[in-house]
Amino acid sequence: MLTRRSLLQAAIGAVTNVASAYTPVDQSSDYTIDIAPHSLEVAPHNFVQTVAYNGQVPGPVIRLQVDKPVTLDVRNQSGSEEIVHWHGLLLPSEVDGAMEEGTPMIGPGASARLKFVPAPAGFRWYHTHTFAGKDLKKAQYTGQHGFLLIEPRDNPGRYDAEMFLALHDWKGQLLGGSDGSLMVSYDVSTINGRVLGFGEPLRVKQGQRVLFHILNSSATDVHWVSLAGHTFEVIALDGNPVAVTRQANMLRLVPAERVCAIVEMKNPGVWVLGEVRKHIRAAGMGIVVEYAGQTAKPTWIQPQTLDWSYEAFGAGPLPPTDAIDVPLVFRSKFTGHGDVDHWMINGKSFPHTDTVKLRSGARYRLLFRNESLNDHPVHLHRHLFAMAECGVLKDTVLVPSKQELAVEFTANNPGKTLFHCHQQDHMDAGFMMLFDYV
Amino acid sequence: MYRLSFLILLSGAVSLTALAQGNYEIQVYGSDTVSPGSTMLELHSNFTANGQRAVVDGVYPTFHQEHETIEITQGITDWSEVGFYIFTSEQNGHGVQWVGDHIRPRVRVPDSWHWPIGFSISTEIGYQRPVYSPDTWTWEIRPIIDKAIDRWYFAVNPALERTWHGPDARHGLGFAPAAKVSYDFTQKISGGIEYYGDYGRFFAWDPLHDQQQQFFVVTDLNVSPQWEFNFGVGLGATASTDRLIVKGIIGRRFSWRRQREID
Repeated sequence: MLTRRSLLQAAIGAVTNVASAYTPVDQSSDYTIDIAPHSLEVAPHNFVQTVAYNGQVPGPVIRLQVDKPVTLDVRNQSGSEEIVHWHGLLLPSEVDGAMEEGTPMIGPGASARLKFVPAPAGFRWYHTHTFAGKDLKKAQYTGQHGFLLIEPRDNPGRYDAEMFLALHDWKGQLLGGSDGSLMVSYDVSTINGRVLGFGEPLRVKQGQRVLFHILNSSATDVHWVSLAGHTFEVIALDGNPVAVTRQANMLRLVPAERVCAIVEMKNPGVWVLGEVRKHIRAAGMGIVVEYAGQTAKPTWIQPQTLDWSYEAFGAGPLPPTDAIDVPLVFRSKFTGHGDVDHWMINGKSFPHTDTVKLRSGARYRLLFRNESLNDHPVHLHRHLFAMAECGVLKDTVLVPSKQELAVEFTANNPGKTLFHCHQQDHMDAGFMMLFDYV
Repeated sequence: MYRLSFLILLSGAVSLTALAQGNYEIQVYGSDTVSPGSTMLELHSNFTANGQRAVVDGVYPTFHQEHETIEITQGITDWSEVGFYIFTSEQNGHGVQWVGDHIRPRVRVPDSWHWPIGFSISTEIGYQRPVYSPDTWTWEIRPIIDKAIDRWYFAVNPALERTWHGPDARHGLGFAPAAKVSYDFTQKISGGIEYYGDYGRFFAWDPLHDQQQQFFVVTDLNVSPQWEFNFGVGLGATASTDRLIVKGIIGRRFSWRRQREID
């Protein structure tokens, strides 16, 4: 007998090229996520001792039907308290997966059962939401990240195959940065947990339209990727369909961002999909794309510039509204050349930041002013926002150094709502605050 | 570092007779090396306000000597560099004089080794004219260990020195450590203490009277990644040490590679 669960398992096996199928272990839940230590071979004989979901990196692809309630068990077999954040979903605070909002932590050896109604449809992800500090083997520095696809009720599906790719960085250390403070630097960069040339290639066929779901799960670093000999047709950012689909030679993903893009496979050969910047590709960030029947040395074509803008995918500036302005100024605080900077929003570091009280149903305009020397990929939990300049709908957006940027959202999901920089080292050093409303 | 001065000191302190000193490059080294494709150009200016006033064994006195040293360091790889020194001295009655040259290759532990401290090691070979040092050919090996913790910075350079040609060639290895502790008052201004010593022969220390012991109060200005500024005032703590030295280092980093965003 076909059940929703078996259908989902069959679907996972059929369409995912790189992530293994998910196996529920408890009949009373739809899914179980086991959090446990894992030894990840990122390159031949080069292992990273990390923590992963269900013994794999990235974690299993979880496909849920929009608006259909789901039950998940999370079992923590690691030695630390854990929590799973459902990034991009509009969930209640109690299950969103941030202790700052009130979601309970799961102690070592403990389990938690989560029940929620997944929405909105689109490419989301799930990941740990814990504190790392200077321990670069914890929290988002680990392998605790996975793909979450919320299926729409009606999927036109103008593609022949789906592939899920996670960009991640490993073996980090704190080194002196250009701004004079310590910054995280990595030895190894991977796609789906492996360096370029290690592991199976992505196998495609001529004439296929392949939908790539690409996630930057790096704890701190922005990544630029291109596929030699091909272009991306970007159809969604952070899982939300874009107003204007465009061809792009490369994609830029800041930490926590996702891009959905279709590639028409019309250039037979063996190619490299990889980081555009040479030193990161040399650290391993790439994967081979191999056409059926083609056997050649993978080819890389080096772009000469970095090229990306959110505005290209938007319908234009948002129309004037009576949205309430909330100015948020980002500044750093120097704490020594042998330390990371501390971060402040409106002059205060979390947990001393002011909680902004919102009114349910009201429209708000967050006015970001980044006065620091660092770019910040900021994320608003439990809500989507629209970029004021172009209307692109997102849950994470980059606010470049010394620039201003505005986004609008409607307070339509009451409860505590976390806002933070998605760079692990920044959020750990105070770059967080809460909104709250009933 | 106190490199040439230590070497020259060996000619006096190790032989326990002469008191010749030459403070040409007074700097405690950090473990970092210059990036490949980059050159660091430094000017070391050291003025001995109160030092040796007499000619000893044919060596000029240090009193009111102004030493200008040009240091050119070229980055080779992510973990190696080569430095070259041109030592000069200016003094009433002697004019501007070329003193000597040194070459100093250096390697460091690469970042990928994830050591909890910075570590590099340099070796320095050089010549100095007999009127500035009886020991004309010298060699030094210098381990460099450093660590920044929050606002504090610690560095130790336990250098070993050897004379190849000159009166002290028969004396074996000398021990000349240097160390630094500094504190970041702000992002741009640090201040601290630098220590330079020369104990004489290894495991056969000179009497304290003949040792070199010097302490500098210093400030570092971190105004730009391209520039380096270090200023200090040093006091000699033993009879064999110049009493008062004022030092300054100005450095400028030049990058010869066009750094593109795709690199």
